[in-house]
Amino acid sequence: MRLLRALVVVALLAVAVYAGYRLFAPQPPAAGNVVAVYYCKTDGQTLAKWIVSVSPKATDTKSVAFYATAQAVAGPPADTPAVRFPAGTVVRSVALEGPTATVDLGGTIATAQSGSFTEAGEFKALVWTLTSLPGINAVQVKIGGARVPTLPGGHLELDEALTRQSW
Amino acid sequence: MKPLPGKAGSPMRRRSLLTLALTLGLALGLCLPGRAQTLLPANNFWFGGTQLAFEHAQSRYGQLAVATDDGGLGRFLAKLGAVLSYQPGQNSIVVTSSDRRVVSFTLGDPHFSVAGVEQMAAFAPFASGGVAYVPFLDLARALYVDPVQDGATVVLQPQLASLEVRPQNRMTLVTLRGASPLRFKRLSGPGDEDLLLAFLGTASTLQAQRDISAAGLKSVTIRVDGTARNPTTVVDFSTASGGVRVLGPSDSPNAITLAFAAAGVALGGTPIPPAGNAALATAPLLAGDQVAGTGPGVTAVTATGAAPPAPTLPPYGDQSANDNPATTSSGAPLESPTPTAYGLAPATIGALDTQSTGDGFNVNLSITGDVTYEWHRLPDNRWYVDFKPATLAVPAQDRPLEDPSVLSLRVKPFIGPNDRLATVRIALTLASPRTIGLIPTSDGLTIAVGGQDDTSDQKVGMGELLPGRLYTGIVPLPPVEAAPEQSMPGPDESWKFGSSVPTNPRLIVIDPGHGGSDTGAEHNGLVEKDLNLDFAKRLRAILLARGWQVKMTRDDDVDVFGPNASAHDELQARCDVANKAGARMFVSVHSNSFTTSELSGTTTYYYKANSYALADAVHARLTAVLPTKDDGIRKDNFYVIHHSTMPAILVETAFLSNPGDAALLKTTAFRQRVAEGIADGIGDYASANPQPSDSSTMDGN
Repeated sequence: MRLLRALVVVALLAVAVYAGYRLFAPQPPAAGNVVAVYYCKTDGQTLAKWIVSVSPKATDTKSVAFYATAQAVAGPPADTPAVRFPAGTVVRSVALEGPTATVDLGGTIATAQSGSFTEAGEFKALVWTLTSLPGINAVQVKIGGARVPTLPGGHLELDEALTRQSW
Repeated sequence: MKPLPGKAGSPMRRRSLLTLALTLGLALGLCLPGRAQTLLPANNFWFGGTQLAFEHAQSRYGQLAVATDDGGLGRFLAKLGAVLSYQPGQNSIVVTSSDRRVVSFTLGDPHFSVAGVEQMAAFAPFASGGVAYVPFLDLARALYVDPVQDGATVVLQPQLASLEVRPQNRMTLVTLRGASPLRFKRLSGPGDEDLLLAFLGTASTLQAQRDISAAGLKSVTIRVDGTARNPTTVVDFSTASGGVRVLGPSDSPNAITLAFAAAGVALGGTPIPPAGNAALATAPLLAGDQVAGTGPGVTAVTATGAAPPAPTLPPYGDQSANDNPATTSSGAPLESPTPTAYGLAPATIGALDTQSTGDGFNVNLSITGDVTYEWHRLPDNRWYVDFKPATLAVPAQDRPLEDPSVLSLRVKPFIGPNDRLATVRIALTLASPRTIGLIPTSDGLTIAVGGQDDTSDQKVGMGELLPGRLYTGIVPLPPVEAAPEQSMPGPDESWKFGSSVPTNPRLIVIDPGHGGSDTGAEHNGLVEKDLNLDFAKRLRAILLARGWQVKMTRDDDVDVFGPNASAHDELQARCDVANKAGARMFVSVHSNSFTTSELSGTTTYYYKANSYALADAVHARLTAVLPTKDDGIRKDNFYVIHHSTMPAILVETAFLSNPGDAALLKTTAFRQRVAEGIADGIGDYASANPQPSDSSTMDGN
């Protein structure tokens, strides 16, 4: 009987230690749970990409798309020359409908006056990033929740979904 | 009835059971995910010289959980230049720091990532009432803000985040990066051997002493002075006797870049003022021992001691490292681990032979020298590979092949339009999307076309060929270049864009970009709408003199549709001018801009297939007469050149934001040359694409 109790205590301790380990030990991201994020180099045309890991819990395409969009809008680290979205641009939401991802942006981009060069480069990188995800081949951009013909700068057309063939 | 000994009913047993139940309850209470507790006394934070209060916060395991919509959190992030993205229904909360690091939380997961590196938070973020609650102190630390107890107050101290040293050829670059915009005070005199900079309001936990022993800089010492609420970090740069040091441009207000060199080296840059910030560093740095004329926006400066003229450096100098940032598993771009061929002597493709292999086909190349390659698979069964830097020692060729796998082979040398590198392209037209392998051989490379179709999604790849070895994917895939083969629209696309037969074949519509309430870009004392109108008026005068009819979308500083009209109305109104008039061509004139000053050049944009020839003709004339950098012809879906039915182009004449281009834009001679170049290109296009009425025009070009 005493032996049985000791065994139960040991088993409970083992379970507790394992649970504690699962809860608190840092874990590497799950293998293969990565996403490619593109940025446009300062020649305004060439794209490069880097690979970032996503949370193992972000398993649905919508969550991964939101994360990839936020990364693309943030751009590569600051010391990498790149065509970037205006600082303070916020990803409001990303919705998926069929092969089209609808990206709703807000913050600075709603009022920033970017030139044609910047508009073309930043959205090219965003479109390449999202269309590299399985099942997405077009990106509809919204600004502040609404479809707009262009940004305030008035260059790149946004009232139709953008695809890789837009460039 | 006497209770039985050892049964549950005994007082001792009941006490034991009670104790056990209490212990288990306590343990469970600690282990299970807790419910949100009462509001914290969260108003005792101090940040950036003022109190910081959180109105929408909770306690989670005794730790501060702040809602994503909290005003205090918003002010905290705004001061750091960080932005937060979260929308109900999403399970990610993403914060982007001012230096573009992404801090990513996932609801229900205590792990979070900072620039791709996994970390553990005090608790898992949770959603409640349409907002998400994040572990505030973990977020603050991720943004380089450390909490420090000061009596009853927690002071949030912005930290000096990093000190990066980059030895260059004859100088040493040091970049200091802070959590918030860095302000410095120079404590040393201009003639002192050491440079002492005090960073106000900033603390540091960086290594206190670093030996550098690089050009112009011996060591760096860091100490923290001041109070908890107002810390000051003093950085002491021990420099070479008589050495030079300047402030260089930085990529963010949170970063300061300094350059050090031995006496006599021309560094360029900005003299270090007694006090200032990153915004004061406007002059580019120079590399005192490089050959002139290779950098972008070159300003030739003769270094002291008859050194050769020096080119300007792009920010942080080493452009090649940024061209191809290899990645780590954590996602942080790093420099390529293998040497890049850029900057080396071009390789030579000395022999080329082809060989049918039954169900496949081989192209055997003899290559001497190291070379990078990049291949692309196009949707219409074309495949090509570019070798660069490389020259071709055998004749260029473009020939059909008698082979079931490969229908034609083209080999040609050219100069890369963007990188100006000698490039050799080998292009194949395949019978079907066959698999293609690149196989290193003892003297070069074999392009092996297989008998099967390729089913992978990979459309581009790149790598490096060193003697007998092939490195594939050593750099991230793909730098997708708008190769001429892709950007040239096929003639079969013309049906999509309606008839381009003008009802008024002698009419050109000129569209001066922006105007009225829309100023366009403003840099270097120039306003884009005014410049565009000046170009347009000059172009109109030339075209009228050559016999064309001209209509302007605006010939004054006005909105075309009306003041403060929507972008759609304004842009469509410009297209309507040309569409309703049945014009033969539409030319929109703009001036470019970018957030930093190093970009320059002239670009001609088209979108529709019927517009490429006009863009090509105009751009050829512009680049022939303008001293600006040739940024090429590009396809982009810009509204006005999409919705004008006739051949339509948008010319970006030069960058207002570049000091060199801005100086040109300020001269009437340059603006006149732009107008003449566009007019000449219009003439060339008209000559090559005649209309029945052209015999009556007087255009002589």
